[in-house]
Amino acid sequence: MTLFHFGNCFALAYFPYFITYKCSGLSEYNAFWRCVQAGATYLFVQLCKMLFLATFFPTWEGGAGVYDFVGEFMKSTVDMADLLGLHLVMSRNAGKGEYKIMVAAMGWATAELVMSRCLPLWVGARGIEFDWKYIQMSFDSNISLVHYIAMAAVVWMFTRYDLPKSFRLPVTVLLALCVYKAFLMELFVNIFLLGSWTVLLVKGVLTGAISLCSLFLFVTLVHSN
Amino acid sequence: MFEEASEVFDNMFKSSFPLTFIVFIPAVLILVSPLPAEAAHEFTVYRMQQYDLQGQPYGTRNAILNTEARTVEAEVLSRRCVIMRLAEFSYEEYQKALRQSAGAVVIILPKNMSAMPQDIVQQFMELEPEMLATETVVPVYFAMEDDELLSIYTQTLTSSSSQGSLSAAEVLLHTATANGFQMVTSGAQSKAISDWAITSLEGRLAGVGGEDLPTIVVVAHYDSFGVAPWLSYGADSNGSGVSMLLELARLFSKLYTYKRTHAGYNLLFFVSGGGKFNYQGTKRWLEDNLDHTDSSLLQDNVAFVLCLDTLGNGDTMHLHVSKPPKEGSPQFTLLKELELVSENQFPDVKFSMVHKKINLADDMLAWEHERFGIRRLPAFTLSHLASHRLAQRASIMDARSVSPSSRHGAGEPPAGPHVDVQKLSRNTKLVAEALARVIYNLTEKGAPGDLQIFTEQMPRAAQLVDKDSSVVSTLEYHMGHYLKDVKRHYVRADKRDPEFVFYDQLKQTMNAYRVKPAIFDLLLAVCISAYLGVMYLAIQELSHCAVE
Repeated sequence: MTLFHFGNCFALAYFPYFITYKCSGLSEYNAFWRCVQAGATYLFVQLCKMLFLATFFPTWEGGAGVYDFVGEFMKSTVDMADLLGLHLVMSRNAGKGEYKIMVAAMGWATAELVMSRCLPLWVGARGIEFDWKYIQMSFDSNISLVHYIAMAAVVWMFTRYDLPKSFRLPVTVLLALCVYKAFLMELFVNIFLLGSWTVLLVKGVLTGAISLCSLFLFVTLVHSN
Repeated sequence: MFEEASEVFDNMFKSSFPLTFIVFIPAVLILVSPLPAEAAHEFTVYRMQQYDLQGQPYGTRNAILNTEARTVEAEVLSRRCVIMRLAEFSYEEYQKALRQSAGAVVIILPKNMSAMPQDIVQQFMELEPEMLATETVVPVYFAMEDDELLSIYTQTLTSSSSQGSLSAAEVLLHTATANGFQMVTSGAQSKAISDWAITSLEGRLAGVGGEDLPTIVVVAHYDSFGVAPWLSYGADSNGSGVSMLLELARLFSKLYTYKRTHAGYNLLFFVSGGGKFNYQGTKRWLEDNLDHTDSSLLQDNVAFVLCLDTLGNGDTMHLHVSKPPKEGSPQFTLLKELELVSENQFPDVKFSMVHKKINLADDMLAWEHERFGIRRLPAFTLSHLASHRLAQRASIMDARSVSPSSRHGAGEPPAGPHVDVQKLSRNTKLVAEALARVIYNLTEKGAPGDLQIFTEQMPRAAQLVDKDSSVVSTLEYHMGHYLKDVKRHYVRADKRDPEFVFYDQLKQTMNAYRVKPAIFDLLLAVCISAYLGVMYLAIQELSHCAVE
């Protein structure tokens, strides 16, 4: 049962990435190596974030059940480094806007998949004990893919010099939402005490909303040029 | 994409050789690493007895388990682990599980045994020897109940009992999505413990006045027996016997320190091991003392041997003899004194003599005095039980001692055999009184003092008490306080024709893993492929739209 279950989870997690890679036309641009570079940048950025968090943020000494809103808010702010990293990757790639976004997002998301989900899947899903959390983890990686594509698009739009004034505000709002999405999810879980499947649903809805808005803005921007 | 990937890997290989190691070695290590498993629930299980006595095997032979859990209501029990609760235990269902060659049987015992009704306890006690009598390949385990185990039981119950009563579609859906449990034991298959030494202890108090003094021997066996060795505490049988022996030792050692009360009898106290396995300790001790040494207290003038067995409760006292004592012998004197003392000082105790001839054709000897009787030493056993066949002598239910102060008010006494401290104390006074009268020919009363209740702290099955065990060393320490020349005596089974063989793996850890049936995986695979197909089409659509 167990290796098969691992195969199921892995397929569920990885195939959308594969499909996206194929269908977005990246393969025509020989973008594999660039995606790997984006992945390396992801690793570097995560390392810096971790060092920063470990050095400057004290450990939470309150009670076990109380959620430290301010502390977690601060920690989420450090996630701004993700935006910087994406910007860095995109600025180093020459090409059309779409190409840059897709390369950055694919590399980033794949690196995150490998680093934070492959190992738990390998160790946990192969075991004899069954738990729904592995399926949920794989779904979560799909949602992350969409999220990173949206985030890359928003970052790209933010740095365009020819962005119309009316777009500034929505883009900034979307940017902030992207960064603090994890924080918002934690907030929801603590206030409403949601079950694990509900959390997944909420996350999906939220990411869907963000990505639709950014898609809309992106298409408008590209077509207006 | 694969061409690009292979290009990248080629570059990696050609350019930096050490880098490839850094990439690949961890990957390989992770791939071959052993799998740490987290279980839904991990608990200790105690296996049923497994031993050979005089070549005859008893109990369960198997010790490993890796099967799914079911309860008795399920249709198919073969190669499944059957879980039962003590409250709903019935012998027919147990036999049904054995007949269908179940993978294992796990019997869940409640935490609070004293809350169980009397008839269930009694019924289980009577079933214990029957369960042991049939040698079975199916391992039988006992586990103490806790909340998680109870929830596992109820979940298994609902899934097992619903198997026969639904329509086909529901059954299909049910088998695909049911939450099953896989029970796995840690530990290897059981094997015989080689060279196990059963320890016995002896100590003496020498009498005053000459060389050829008569000897009185007081014997009690300290080990316990039950259907599961780790659960046999043997409070009444024979913790009470050992407490009484130690108390007598204390009394007489006090009396023997003063010249005025130092009597002309040698007192020999023997705490024997392996008592429940046909009195192995006593048998070898007798052989060593009578056959292999030149002079021993047992060879010369033995007045009588008094064996103490199960005296912690009840309002009767029986003196079991294999030959009625002759008039004028020391045994007769003791019998008379016991009758007198019980009539006059303890009228609530009914005393009687029970005569049973030694039957050498039986597999097991009845009482400990028969071992001495076989070697022509005058012996009897005192017990509050009228027959050696009573289930109370060999039950795991015999685990508690109750004193009046521990029962708030006059509550119900707990179900099952147990030691009543008051009655044990009264019985000890009776025996001490009678013995003193025989020894001194006068009425000397000893103060009983605190009785050590040597009972429920540790299981004392013979397979678990090896020569370094704390049970033996505690006994040795206390005996050393009162008696002189405390010696250990070991019994090891003969190599070629062993009288007893014990097996290990009596306490194991069982893990219960939550599992889903195999069909569930296939179902999941189908769902995932459908989802991926939809996603592929959606992305194709999106990219076509983007192109246009």
